[in-house]
Amino acid sequence: MTSELLASKKNNTGIQFDPRTKMAVLFTLVIIILGGSFQTTLYYTPALLPLLFFLFSKMWKSAAIYAVTFLACLCLQFFAVPYVPGIPGYLLMIIVLLPLYFSPSIAIAYYFVATTTVSEFIAGMERLHIPRQITIPMAVMFRFFPTVMEEWKAIGDAMKMRGIRLRGGKAGAILEYRFVPMLMCCVKIGEELSAASLTRGLGGPVKRTNICKIGLHIQDILFLLICLAGLVFQIILWIIG
Amino acid sequence: MIECIDVSYSYHGDQEKATISCKGGTLKNINCKIENGTFVLLCGASGCGKTTLTRLFNGLIPHYYDGELSGQVLLDGKEYKSLSLFDISEKVGSVFQNPRSQFFNVDTTSELAFGPENHGLPKDEILNRVKIVAEQLKLTDLMDRSIFSLSGGEKQKIACGSAATIEPEIFVFDEPSSNLDAFAISDLRKLLITLKAQNKTIIIAEHRLYYLYDLADRVLYLKDGQIEGDFIGKEFAEFSSTQLEEMGLRPLVLDTLSQLDTQKRCSVGSPWVVDNFRFTYKKSKKETLFLDKIELFPGKVVSVIGHNGAGKTTFSRCLCGLEKRCKGNVIHDGKTYNRRQRLKLCYMVMQDVNHQLFTESVKEELLISMPKENEQTVDSILTEMDLSEMKESHPMGLSGGQKQRVAIASAIASQRPIILFDEPTSGLDLFHMRRVADAINKLAESGKTILVVTHDPEFILRCCDCVIHIEDGHLKEHYELQEAEDRQRLLSFFE
Repeated sequence: MTSELLASKKNNTGIQFDPRTKMAVLFTLVIIILGGSFQTTLYYTPALLPLLFFLFSKMWKSAAIYAVTFLACLCLQFFAVPYVPGIPGYLLMIIVLLPLYFSPSIAIAYYFVATTTVSEFIAGMERLHIPRQITIPMAVMFRFFPTVMEEWKAIGDAMKMRGIRLRGGKAGAILEYRFVPMLMCCVKIGEELSAASLTRGLGGPVKRTNICKIGLHIQDILFLLICLAGLVFQIILWIIG
Repeated sequence: MIECIDVSYSYHGDQEKATISCKGGTLKNINCKIENGTFVLLCGASGCGKTTLTRLFNGLIPHYYDGELSGQVLLDGKEYKSLSLFDISEKVGSVFQNPRSQFFNVDTTSELAFGPENHGLPKDEILNRVKIVAEQLKLTDLMDRSIFSLSGGEKQKIACGSAATIEPEIFVFDEPSSNLDAFAISDLRKLLITLKAQNKTIIIAEHRLYYLYDLADRVLYLKDGQIEGDFIGKEFAEFSSTQLEEMGLRPLVLDTLSQLDTQKRCSVGSPWVVDNFRFTYKKSKKETLFLDKIELFPGKVVSVIGHNGAGKTTFSRCLCGLEKRCKGNVIHDGKTYNRRQRLKLCYMVMQDVNHQLFTESVKEELLISMPKENEQTVDSILTEMDLSEMKESHPMGLSGGQKQRVAIASAIASQRPIILFDEPTSGLDLFHMRRVADAINKLAESGKTILVVTHDPEFILRCCDCVIHIEDGHLKEHYELQEAEDRQRLLSFFE
């Protein structure tokens, strides 16, 4: 019932990837698709990557949704957009191009959050030698986000019950009613959370161990090479013109 | 071994800080010595300094909470001041009151591994410890789960496990049962027995005494920040209920409660009929709530009991109209109220009242609840609820008990006929619990229909007329509390 940013439970189906690989693929895809001119055929190849990931992890439903959305938009772009004139044509173009443009990045981002646990993510960051000053606040954020959502919902319920709704220019008051109690609750939870972590020795002078098993396997290396190739190709394209 | 020599403590700048987490709780001239392997129970009314004392023992004072500390607190002969929290964490494990806010990780296995990870132990050693602790404390079924899918009781067990993997000599508990139901409390008791059998030092601050008084080797009774009584466990167990009451403590044996006089109120007016309530969670095929017909009488207080996850909270949320997916109506005097209409019919005083106090002053808080703003009514309600002095104060600046009274006052101001309470006494001491019970009795006498979701048997006997017992989403029993045998029936549920 809670909304979580990253998975909190390990999902063991299909082929597993290292969090670093997923991050690299996400990064590459965003660069190529948003940075490159997407009219080129280069665009359609990276669009296959999310599909591959979904299939490897046996996420059949996500794979189907992604493939259908992408293909439908592609068909519309080729067979409908050029033939619809005027303003409706422009509208259709926007409706078709937006998903075409963003769906690969969104799909891979979804794959990342749905299959990576917080511990894996932190372990990955540690292997990349990202300093603790960054990894610990990030870990706290992942822990905290669902809690904030819970508080948000509870306060929303309280407002609904008391009949406090948008009416008669009270928008400012509504914001205040929602944020003041939420901040108070979050501060309190944050305070208790830090106290609890400190009594478990967080932030001690020794090097922290991480029990999470991550490592680069053959599938990771394969995908990392694909990413590298894509990036190099993109950079060459930029240089050429 | 922990030793306190002439320890006094007060929180800094009381007012501001006190509102967030530490009401009252100053300590004066504490002298005590806790030997290894003893089970020490700290008891006393709210604000007596129990929690403060636990914070001295786990080093959060002076290392986390600011304040003025004098005297010496020693851990194995070394002063807490000279040790860092990291050093202390090796010897003292802590479990706190609120199960929601003591996890750093989002899954249970990482949480158990968290302490040893911070101490930089080798990976295999950590995995081994996690396994052993999970077996010893019977947590194996809870491993590899998301923290957010656990019940309060399960969370509290994981918190104990997480403290245990560091293998400390001393365990400090701060009111671990205040958010738990009867079932979870008996699990907690088993866990405490396991730790005691391992000859660990256990220090536990608690209001509810019935589940652990017989485990204690020693009982420290605090009053106004001083140790007023230092008893041997067996001696304490013999205390009569009147003696305990004078000390402001909850009873040791629930049985004595069946002699309490319950309410004998007559209903005024025709009942609100809960008709055919059905509720299914998103993504779930099975219905989680099926209540065919329940009658709620105006002028009476109904308590809703059942184990965690039985559907008590879902029922109260459906009644209030907060669950969009709930099917069913409420009928009164031939008029049918659907979900939307019920939003204006019911008022819920939530467990965490911080969620429902929005405005800048107590007065304002009552005014926005009213169908028509009327300052005179506000004054009379505030006087009745003993809040007139705080009329202009910011609700967030009040103590927990006062906040709750503000929420009850706005429920009265809303003039709605049905008022619900969700766990109004979790973590309250005897005095405050009775105060809430009195407030509810008054509300009932003014003709409101009242529903209380609670795990507190003493509280039920002090203010409720009848009991609705829900299990697995079904109505299991519905009975009045007038007869002694019915009261016995209620108490047997809690044992």
